[in-house]
Amino acid sequence: MNVAERVAIVSASATPVGRLTPRDDRLWDGFDHDVLGGVVLDALGQIGIANHQIGSVVFTAPPPPTRQLGFATFMCAQLGLRPNAQLAQVQEMGITGGLAFDQAASDILLGRADYALALGVAIQSQGDATQAMDHSLRVVGDVDFQSPFGMTPIAWYAFDMCRYLHETGVKREDIAAVACKSRQWSASNPLAQFREPLSLEQVLSQPPVVAPLGRLDVPARADGAICLVLCTERRAQALGVPYVVVSGRGFASEGFHQIGDHPHDMTAFPAATAATRRALGEAGKTLDQLDLAELYAPCTITEVLVSEACGFFGRGEGAIAAREGRTAPGGDTPINTSGGCLARGHPPSLTALYGLLELREQLLGLAGDRQINAAECGLHVCELGNYNAALSHIVERPA
Amino acid sequence: MTMKVVRKTGSMPYSPRINQFTQTFWQRLAEGELCSTRCLSCHRLSFPPRQFCPGCGHRHSEWVALSAAGTLYATTTVHAAPGQFMEQTPYTLAIVDLDDGVRLLTRLQHNDESAVPDTRVALLVEQYDDGCLFVAEPEHEGEDSIG
Repeated sequence: MNVAERVAIVSASATPVGRLTPRDDRLWDGFDHDVLGGVVLDALGQIGIANHQIGSVVFTAPPPPTRQLGFATFMCAQLGLRPNAQLAQVQEMGITGGLAFDQAASDILLGRADYALALGVAIQSQGDATQAMDHSLRVVGDVDFQSPFGMTPIAWYAFDMCRYLHETGVKREDIAAVACKSRQWSASNPLAQFREPLSLEQVLSQPPVVAPLGRLDVPARADGAICLVLCTERRAQALGVPYVVVSGRGFASEGFHQIGDHPHDMTAFPAATAATRRALGEAGKTLDQLDLAELYAPCTITEVLVSEACGFFGRGEGAIAAREGRTAPGGDTPINTSGGCLARGHPPSLTALYGLLELREQLLGLAGDRQINAAECGLHVCELGNYNAALSHIVERPA
Repeated sequence: MTMKVVRKTGSMPYSPRINQFTQTFWQRLAEGELCSTRCLSCHRLSFPPRQFCPGCGHRHSEWVALSAAGTLYATTTVHAAPGQFMEQTPYTLAIVDLDDGVRLLTRLQHNDESAVPDTRVALLVEQYDDGCLFVAEPEHEGEDSIG
């Protein structure tokens, strides 16, 4: 075991986020495995790696509409992958992509694999939305004591918003500003689901979904497919290709399944605070050394709360910061430069992998018109439930 | 405190499962009493009732009656719902902190814009053909009818 090594993201490939299947009766170009297969071959081809060199393959579990079960082994057979360290499929709500990355990274750190893939595909936008929510009813809350009331996943975030507005005196329009600035970032992201500008009036005039959250405060359904290739920093240097490294990692859980059974501050996201502190500590960094942050935030209010929990802003100041443009292009605290869940798009199991991809692009100077000047260090945070657990990574461009 | 019982026609959209342990909760609820479990070792109160204490891991607990009064922590009105609940939209979900010190998720019996956070609420029982649920209403709505 060689724990002194750092993990490098040495290659990556992804489809745009959005609908990847035809809207009419035409035959699909390919099924889930075909889409992901192309992405994997692209990622391996960029660095001249062959399938037999991959020792660890960690998939995000495919979403409920996926017909092919046993997806991980099926997919490996499609690609001729014969991993000798690990072949797994991981899943736990929104943190799923982060877990796939973390598990693949562990195999590199432990010396079990020369190369590891963190990957997944989600084709779900063609299905019936109500059907998808029926499934989610069993994920959110306690199926016997909470689900019978008609919970939905984003209802947690709506509770947060209700309480936050009540306690801080922040205005609804301050929080809606997050949706607008997300489009400012995504305008130049070719992977983004939505790139058109959005006005505050447009956000505020939408019908409610889970009031006080309206249709543009919450993510649209989306497909995607992504593959990150990991190896040690030493191996990445030997390959002679551009790479970024993971210099810090932190995980924390507050021990609740969405809401606790005793009163607690639901809007404080203490797991995000603790996980980010640990990651920064491991990297030997402070918040003010970060050039950008990709924060898993399915709704406008979520980005506000996690930006406060990580320490970028004080209590009640996250929404004001978004309204004042501090997290937008040109701002002093760039957050979710990909456009985040609301604009880049949100296939939930893959969102963390897309967030890590955005850090890689920014740190390698590949982000086009949304590029943060001379970005050297970024934070990624993903979560499960109502940020009941969080996983943070510090990603850096090597000196 | 005996909770008001309101008769509802038809079945619950999504019925809770009941086992030998939790049937005590549901039977007592049908009789107008909210209850849960308290750890016999560390005395931690849990909601919903649990066979293991999340505080200390002890396996033995006792059933205790809870006050059906509390305070709204937060609400959300659901307009886009899972299929079973679509006919009921919009409906308002509520997180309630009971005076006994536990937090629970429930529904407001009626959509009520005046029910803002920190509003005092009382829980009552909705009796369906196939079982019952507890729901909340602001205290001013049910002052005359809750015993």
